[in-house]
Order: sequence, then structure tokens, then C-alpha cells
Amino acid sequence: MAESWGMVIDLDKCTGCQACVVACQSENNIPINDEGLFNQRRAIEWIRIERYWEGEFPDVKARFIPILCQHCADAPCEPVCPVFATYHNNEGLNVQVYNRCIGTRFCANGCPYHVRFFNFWEPEWPDSLKNQLNPDVTVRSRGIMEKCTFCVQRIRRTGRKAAQAGIDKSDAELERGLNPACVNACPTQTLEFGDMIDVLTAVKEGTRLPDEPKSKAGAKVKKELEEDGGRGYRLREQLGTNPSVVYLRKVDEHRKEVITHG
Amino acid sequence: MALTRRQFLTLTGGATAAPIIFLACGVPAEELLVEAPLEMPEDLVSGLDNWYATLCRQCGTSEGVVVRVMEGRAKKVEGNLDYPINMGKHSARCEGGLQDLYHPDRIKGPLLRSGERGTGQYEEVSWTDALGRLNLQLSQLQSSRNQNSMVLVTNPIGGHLGMIAETFASKFGGRYMPYEPVERTNLKAAIKQVFGQDRIPDFEIENANYVLSFGADFLNTWVSPTRYARGYGEFRQGDRERGTLVHVDSRFSMTGANADSWIHVKPGMEGILALSIAHVIIKDGLADPAAAQALTGGSNLEEFAPESVAAKTGVSAETIEQVAHDFASHKPAIALGGGSAGAHTNGLFNLTAIYSLNYLVGSVGQPGGVVFNPAPPLSEIANAPSSSSYQDWADLVNDMRSGDVGLMMVRGADPMHGLPGTLGFRDASYDVPVIVSFSNIMDDTTAMADIVLPEHNSFEDWGTDTPDAGPGYEIVGFQQPVVRPFFEGRGEHLGTRGFADILLAAAQGLSLDLGLAGETYKDVLQGSAEKLFALNRGSVRAGDFKSFWNGMLQRGGWWDVNAKASGGVPAPQRLPEAEEPRFDPATPGRFNFHLSPFSSTGIGEGQGAHIPWLQATPDPITSATWLTWVEINIQIAEDLDLREGDVVRVTSPRGSIEALAYPHPGIPPGVVAIPMGQGHVAGGRYAEGRGANVFSILSDLTDESTGALAWSATRVGIEKLDKWIRLPKFENSVSDPPEDEEGLVIEITSDDS
Ligand code: SF4
Ligand code: SF4
Repeated sequence: MAESWGMVIDLDKCTGCQACVVACQSENNIPINDEGLFNQRRAIEWIRIERYWEGEFPDVKARFIPILCQHCADAPCEPVCPVFATYHNNEGLNVQVYNRCIGTRFCANGCPYHVRFFNFWEPEWPDSLKNQLNPDVTVRSRGIMEKCTFCVQRIRRTGRKAAQAGIDKSDAELERGLNPACVNACPTQTLEFGDMIDVLTAVKEGTRLPDEPKSKAGAKVKKELEEDGGRGYRLREQLGTNPSVVYLRKVDEHRKEVITHG
Repeated sequence: MALTRRQFLTLTGGATAAPIIFLACGVPAEELLVEAPLEMPEDLVSGLDNWYATLCRQCGTSEGVVVRVMEGRAKKVEGNLDYPINMGKHSARCEGGLQDLYHPDRIKGPLLRSGERGTGQYEEVSWTDALGRLNLQLSQLQSSRNQNSMVLVTNPIGGHLGMIAETFASKFGGRYMPYEPVERTNLKAAIKQVFGQDRIPDFEIENANYVLSFGADFLNTWVSPTRYARGYGEFRQGDRERGTLVHVDSRFSMTGANADSWIHVKPGMEGILALSIAHVIIKDGLADPAAAQALTGGSNLEEFAPESVAAKTGVSAETIEQVAHDFASHKPAIALGGGSAGAHTNGLFNLTAIYSLNYLVGSVGQPGGVVFNPAPPLSEIANAPSSSSYQDWADLVNDMRSGDVGLMMVRGADPMHGLPGTLGFRDASYDVPVIVSFSNIMDDTTAMADIVLPEHNSFEDWGTDTPDAGPGYEIVGFQQPVVRPFFEGRGEHLGTRGFADILLAAAQGLSLDLGLAGETYKDVLQGSAEKLFALNRGSVRAGDFKSFWNGMLQRGGWWDVNAKASGGVPAPQRLPEAEEPRFDPATPGRFNFHLSPFSSTGIGEGQGAHIPWLQATPDPITSATWLTWVEINIQIAEDLDLREGDVVRVTSPRGSIEALAYPHPGIPPGVVAIPMGQGHVAGGRYAEGRGANVFSILSDLTDESTGALAWSATRVGIEKLDKWIRLPKFENSVSDPPEDEEGLVIEITSDDS
């Protein structure tokens, strides 16, 4: 059976340090977000950190939440694409086929998480900086939609390595190669990645969670969903998108409660 | 030394040749076919990659990284899983090393000034010519017995590079002055005074139950943020009870945002608050009695009772009691301090009082507490990296003015940008006949240089590091070139060279014996590596030196988890006399805000300003990028009729800058905060002329006991100008969350909450 990749994000650990954001820019050939792009609100960040204010001075809090494509099993971005540029593959990934995309931007309107970014301009790098571009990742051109791919190029590469070695691509030995760039970077281990097909299917179908989830990430989700006071939830779950990303709530020590936002 | 690419890979990677052959035969045949675009383009095979371990030298922490290299080009940086400091993780700044390497404005070869100083006119010369000129300058100083008018400035560097720079300067008879914009002078002095240590200890946050931090933005920018964040993740959600973080700061920092409580203290009152906490712990019998006796000499610090200091510190008596009780009853507990807490005229006192708290709760030398760092087992690099204090710089400027500095050589440091404007370093530099820079970016200091000898990027050069703070045991990190020098194709007379090798060549030209074993930097490193090999312990052991060397380069260095600091727990010292801060100006008058400058997440104190990724890294709290903003309490902003993006003039008695207003819900009303790092007069296309330089308006008050700059002691006034500029920030780049009729955000939560 194929995999269904998923991610767990523990909001109690995230410090908002932006290491994941820059790691993603570097891995995925994201155009340089210059000042003008920020001002036009057209900067591209496949993973971003949203900051929410709570309360007022002096009892003020800032909360951080990393947001990326949730790789929804029932993705509202997919059916609206007239040319099948975005579709669900058999590994649970919501993929974007750049050379099919005609730039209608319907998908971006359909996505309730605002994680799709449109290339309003032709991405440009000074020649020397092009030496850094990742040859595994297409440089998108103007008029194309793009978004987080869970670093599909790393999954592919790891798949090849696994096939050569005759092991499973979820093998712990291959973990670093399989993980998306953000997961490897994250200093606090807020982000965890893995094959969550068993857990995600059970959640979707409302059946009992597997006794022994296939991946560490899956096991964490199971624990946090089943335990009393477990912290697991999915963003805008009631919209029925069935995201593959599970968030764990932040704990607020003083209010002795866990906080949800999103 | 002519190497083929294959030989190079074999040498630097040790065992890399084997996987190349294996992989080359192993690519499944069908993946070499061009596939129909039914599949993601990412499915197409695109070549083979290798990952090489080395060190990241983008900031002072110097994390161990692995760099992905394809076709001779560096593509990606990741943390080195084995490296004890960051264990596979890395910060946003490490990634910047790639753009530093391929920076479009990198200096491609030696330059000689051809116009007036500071006008940026240079002509390219050959290395032979440029080095000849450097040697001429040095030998003239020698023959006129003016050696002591040579000053060598570098960033504070550990390992062999620091040692070579220091040895070169002292053997020549000149001065060595390590420079850092946010100096650690007070921190190091406090660590020495409280714990008797030369090195910053490791704070074992992952095993702590309670962390009480004062002013140090340790999850973001302070000392070793990736290492601390790694501990923090465990501290929050590890296999044990969730730890509590309380952050005391005069500003709402990123660390403050992550704390369970942020206690806003009046600027400079951190030490008095710490003494009050100590008083409660002692009074209520929660302290280790012997430590209490040693620290206070039997008094219980009655004059610092919470009620007596509440008004002064701005922290209520109940809060002080509560924090003291929680701190003392959730062991292991760590008290740490730095950043703005140490950047006052009483900075040393503040930090000494703060670190002394660790004795009261018995965390010194304990797991989950403050763990000391031993020196590396190599006598040649046993000293911790040193740095100069502001007072040293002030003295230097006097010498420059009086013509006592004949030659200044600068590497990896940009004092023209980072020293407070009021010091007049730039003006005084016109009195220095010759300035030589080794930078490969035209930064503010290099733009004033007469000769530029551009050094390699760290991914092209050798090196070692003895991290300060270390991991709690012996470590020597190794840096190897992971790519061939980018400008190598320009021939040996142009392009870049390693800084250490330039110094070694210069020493040779002067017949100066540095007492080093080896002609090249690599030889020197190998000489030291042989000593590590001979120890026959630690992370890499091998039957012969060659395998040891290769094994060590593959792992990114050598360390021994069992070789911890010896000497046990030093006896606590008497607490210092309490001291209150002074400000400039002494009374507020029209300067009625306290200015709190802070290091930027992306560009640091300016070291990363030329790197577009780091410029575009949103500040964690404001999400602002690319420009300089001033954080003003949201209520005050309303009173002053300031909206986000309104240009304000921030004026101190030493000067004024313009910045964009950011009405901030978290900052205390009497404080304004400005990020460091912008306002370069040079620095390449991404840095030049961007934002404002907060250093230019800082006061020159110092902590008189150490000579450290009190960079958080300036008062400013703010004035609205009739101008508005959009603040480039990421927030609201994507549409707002859904709101109801009253404009309240609809909370989207799962059903069970
Ligand atoms: S998060 Fe948005 S882009 Fe990603 S799959 Fe869901 S709807 Fe599509
Ligand atoms: S790297 Fe980790 S801790 Fe930092 S912002 Fe991203 S998710 Fe949060």
C-alpha cells in the first residue's frame, strides 16, 4: 500500500524562529522576496509563521503558528482546477503540475488556508545566486501557482535510495533525506513528518486508531488524539477538508488550559 | 596544488568515492528516460549529490552543518546530526552562507584604492602586487620600529584562526582587537566572577524544570540560540513534566513571547530584582544554606525586600515572591542573563546578581543546570576567544587621532558600522595611513580600505572552532572546504584566498616565526589533528592518522562526551554591591523614551545584511523585513497619532535616525525598541542605504568596572514626520482570518475544545 504523508506540528514548542521558513526558501528555489513583493503582499512563503496577539499590555501574549499546505485528503483546491494542474497523488500529496497550470488562480480562492502563492512576476536571480538553485526543483515562471509540496523531490530521491538498498522509504535510516527541509531545520522539533496513512485513514473514517501507528509522527498523533486532554486538532477541520497536518495545541500555564488558534 | 574534481571529492569526503560509483550504477534505467509530464517534474532524475560536514561561520555560534554539493556547487545547508551544539538543527542564518558564497557583489580579487578614501573607487590588482604592498607596509613599520602601530581587528574567533591572528599580531609586536557589535565583555566578566570560568557554561535547558531568564533573547539571537531552542523543545514537551519559562526584560522580545510569564522590569533594574528574588529565597528558607551564607555573608539582603524594590524595579511585590518561590521549588532551575540586562552602566552587577541565583537553588554543575565547559585538549587553542571592550575601542580612536596607528587590518568585522557614531571611529580612520580589509563583501569598513585582500567564503576554506558556549565537554569542530573557490577560474593571481594562509604568507615574507608547525593553514590544522589522534579517545578513533583525519572531517570534528570540566563546583563568591543604572541623558526631559536596541533574527547586528534571504526573514514578532522600524506601545502611538509606517525621527543626545513606526501591543509604554543591523553606507546591493543604523545614535556610557558599552542606556525622543512608507512585512500578506459582524476573529477550533 502506498504511503500517505502527514505532519504533526506541536505549537507548544514553536518559538517563531523562522528557521523553517528560510530552509524552505533555500530548498525550493523560492524567488527572493524583495521589499517590493512584501509591499505588494505578494511575497512567497510556502511555510509561514503567523503571529497572533492575545491580550493587552502588560498581560500580552504573542502566539506563533506555522502554516503550510495541509495536503487535504478532500482538498477544495483540486476540483476547481480546469486543467488538472493540481491533483491528489497516491501518496496523499496535493501536487501541483507547473507545466499544466494556466494561472486561473481558482485553487488559491478555493484553499481555506491561504497557502497557495501565485507568481505575479517572473522570478529573477542575479546570475551568481543561480548556482545555489536546487536542480531537483523546477524554477516556476510567471503566471504559475505554487505551494508547499512536502518536499516531494526529497521523497522521490529517498524512494530511489530505498529501492537500491532494498529497504522501505520510511526506514529510520532514511529519515533525514525523507523529511521536508523545514522539519530537518526546526531547532525545537516542533515539526515531525512521516507516513500517517493508518492514522489519517482512521481519523477520516471515524474508526479506531491503529494500535501501532507506522511512523513516529503517527504515534504522536494517536497519543494526542486519544489521551484525555490530548492536544491534537486540525485547522478548520469542520470544513471537511481532511488535512494531513495535525496540530497540537499550545499549553497556557497560567490559565491551566490549552490554546487553539487558526 | 592541482586537483581534479574527483580527487577533491575523495580527499575532502573521505569515503565519498565509493558511493559515487555505487550510485552511478544504481540509478534505475527508466529514470533516465524523459518522462511524459504526467508526473511531477520532480520525478525526473537530476544528478547525484554529496553532503559534506563543515562549520557554519555566519554568526558567532558556529554550528556544525552538512552542505549538499552537486556538480561542484553548494545547494543546501542542514544541521550536522552528530555535531554536539546543534545536533542536526540549524538556524535561519546558517542557510545564508550559501548566498554569501554566491553573492552577486562578492569581491572577485585583490583591490587597490584608486580614488579618494570612501568613494568606492578601486582597481583590481594581482595577489602578488597586493601582498607585496601589505608586506611593504608591515616591513616599513618593522624598520621604523613602529610595530605597535599595527592593529589587527577580527571578529571574535575560536579555534586556530583566532590563535593565528593573535599570534601574528603579538609576534609582529602589534595589537590584536577582536570586535563584536554586541559585546560579551560583561557576560564573560560575570561568568568569571560568579563561576570562575573563562568559558560560557552550557545551560542544560532540556533537563531543567524552570528557566528564569533576564534580558537574554536566548531563543532568538543570544549566544547559541539553536542549541537553546533544541533544549527548549524538550523542556516544553519532552518525556516529563512541562518546564516553566519566565522571562524578565524591559522589552517584549521573542523569548518573552514564548515565556509563560513575561515580567517587564524597568531598564537596568534586573540585578536589583535578582537580589530581591534571592532575599525571598533565603528568607523563606528555600536556599542552600551554605551558598546563602557565602553569597551574603549572613545578611538576608533585607534592603531588597520585595516591598522595598517594587517601585524601583516596576515589578510588584507579589510577583517577586511568586517567582522566587517557583524558582526555588522547581528544581533543577536555571537563572541566566545577558543582552540588554548586561548592557547598562551597572551591567556587570546585574549579570553577577542574576548568575549567583544558581547557587541558591543548587544548579551549579548539576544536570538540568549550569554545566561548565572544559578547554579543548589542544594547548595551542586552549584559550577562549577574547574580545575587546568599548573602552579599548575608545582608546584606539584616541591613538588613531594622535597618529599612533599606522596600519589597520580588518577581517570579518565591520566596526565602521557597529561602533556608536559618537565615538567618531569613521572620522578618526582618516588619520590612519593604511587600512587593509580581508572582507569579500564591500562592507562599511572595507569601503574605507586602501587595500582589499578578499578572503574565501567559509565553505571554501579550512578551519576549526572551539565553540563558546560549548556543549559541556571537550570539542574541536572542523571546517573543510566543501566546494572549490568560486573565483578559482580567474587564475591564481586573482580570486580569493584563505585569511589564515594570507597571514602565514605575510609572516613568511617578514621572516616572522609564528612558532607554528606547518607552512599552510591546512598543515597547521593537521598538526593539531595528530595530537587529537594520539589521544585515542572521543568521537573519532582510528588505526592510522589518515583514517582519523578523514573520519573527523566526515563527522565535522572531534569531541569526547566523557571529558567534562574538572574541578567541581567552585565556591560561591560574595554578591557585589548593588548598583543602579545611569542613563544618557540623566534626566528624561524631551528624551522621554528609553531606547532598547535589539539584534535582528535574520541579519543579526548587520553581519547578514548583505544576504537577501536574511533581509527577507520576517521578524518573529512584527513580521517586518528589509527596513528599520521602531516599536512603540500601541497606546502611546495612538496618543501621538502614529500609524504603522509613519516615519518618525528618533533623536538621542548623540544624533537622530528615521524609522517607521510600528504600534506594538507588547512593548512597555516608556520604551521604544529598534532592530540593529541596517543603515549600511555600503555592503552590496541588498544592504546599501537600507533602513537606519541604530548604533549611530547610541550613547557612549559604559560600565566603568569593565569598560563595556552600555548600549541599552540611551534615552530618546520621538517626533512624527510628515511622511509615510509602507512597512514591508509578511503579516496580512494572506487574507485575514474570517470575522463576525463585530469584527471579532472567528475562532476555529476542533469540536472537542
Ligand atoms: S491546504 Fe489548500 S492548497 Fe493545500 S491541499 Fe488543502 S486546500 Fe489544497
Ligand atoms: S523552525 Fe520550528 S520553532 Fe522555528 S518557527 Fe519553524 S516551526 Fe517554529
